[in-house]
Amino acid sequence: MPENTTAPARAMRLGVAGPVGTGKSSLIATLCRALSGELRLGVITNDIYTDEDARFLRSAGVLDPERIRPVETGACPHTAIRDDVTANLLAAEDLEADFGPLDLVIIESGGDNLTATFSPALVDAQVFVLDVAGGGDVVRKGGPGIARADLLVINKTDLGVHVGVDVERMTREGRSVRQGAPVVALSRHDEASVRTLTGWVRDTLAHYRTGEHTPVDPGPMAPHFHTGQDSEEPHLHTHAHDQDPAHAGHSA
Amino acid sequence: MSASPLLLALLGDARLPSGGHTQSAGLEPALRAGIAPAEVPAYLRSRLRTVTMVEAGTAVVALAVAANDGDLTEVEAAWAARTPSPALRANGRRLGRGYLRVLQRLWPGPVDAHARTWSRPVVLGLLAHRAGMDPADVARLVGYDDAQTVAAALLKLEPQDPLTIAAWVSELLPNVEKMAGKVAPLRLPEQIPAPGAPLIERWAETHDTITERLFSA
Repeated sequence: MPENTTAPARAMRLGVAGPVGTGKSSLIATLCRALSGELRLGVITNDIYTDEDARFLRSAGVLDPERIRPVETGACPHTAIRDDVTANLLAAEDLEADFGPLDLVIIESGGDNLTATFSPALVDAQVFVLDVAGGGDVVRKGGPGIARADLLVINKTDLGVHVGVDVERMTREGRSVRQGAPVVALSRHDEASVRTLTGWVRDTLAHYRTGEHTPVDPGPMAPHFHTGQDSEEPHLHTHAHDQDPAHAGHSA
Repeated sequence: MSASPLLLALLGDARLPSGGHTQSAGLEPALRAGIAPAEVPAYLRSRLRTVTMVEAGTAVVALAVAANDGDLTEVEAAWAARTPSPALRANGRRLGRGYLRVLQRLWPGPVDAHARTWSRPVVLGLLAHRAGMDPADVARLVGYDDAQTVAAALLKLEPQDPLTIAAWVSELLPNVEKMAGKVAPLRLPEQIPAPGAPLIERWAETHDTITERLFSA
């Protein structure tokens, strides 16, 4: 059952995290291209050395350049999305103040390592992006983003044949690491995969609006285990148990 | 009234989530303009005598005005008049919003509708009033925070032995104390000191227009 039934007053904030070069900016450009006709969008980029990502997105012509804002992270991309989200929160507030009500604010993290995930104080939902060119084994390494982001995207599937990665196997292993939580194998040249991605965004936004979506912190911690049959220990994490069959019964 | 010294530690801690990690206190543009890393101690002292004293004086006066239920908009105007760079004013006001979030969560209460447009030292003065800090401590906080902001940014921009840089900050502490003592008695906006630092202001303006930077200002 949904725990929170209060409809939110602000746009949904969707984080896009993942290592450098996996295609975060490109994925956001794809989302903007596909959704800007139906949703009021804003984008915040967390650049490390430059405003390269913001310039890329502006030049892609997928959104009014004014709706794409870079924030500086002081060389701490991890901090900016997790330990001190102030700069990003203020940028999100400003976008909504400047462009009236928005439906979706997409926040791109600076490319970081596998442990970098967004704080639920900043985003309502988050996508973690890997790409096949990074190697088929990365998904098996796991980590909070891969295992517990709301969505895992395995990007650049069209490159699989060129880099000797079995995309289907990588996707299957992703589902296994995530205990069945959603994985999208994406190529921007593959329309069907783009539709799957935008469908997920629409569904998540719909759940957010009805108050059925609970922000989940993928956390920096190792996965937890429900061991004891009658353990009274409180969980260190929050997640929507109704969406996670693996946790349906604590005594399992 | 005097708050616990630990309050000063809390507010002076880089881990306070107020957006401080986006700042270099002008160091990034200064290095780009050609100052050498070895000149950073002199840079720190120059800031303390100029822009930082303006910030500290503003925070102290904002505290006094808030304590008398006065109009903080006048303090904000006095700060703006002493901060000629539009880029630094915009940055100071962004930081103000960061501290406003801290204030509203840690010391909740009604705030003026204009508070979202106030600069960091004005919000800090209000925070100090709510938190029961004394004026010298607010000034110490501003001076210390400025030095540590430069020091932390230097580690990112021109990395060297972090302890060397920590020693520079430590050696600066008496200067911070002296500056704090000077501004602590201030009560009125017109008493806020107005020393200028034209190079720092000019570098800030240049920094605002470039596309490759680690820090906001």
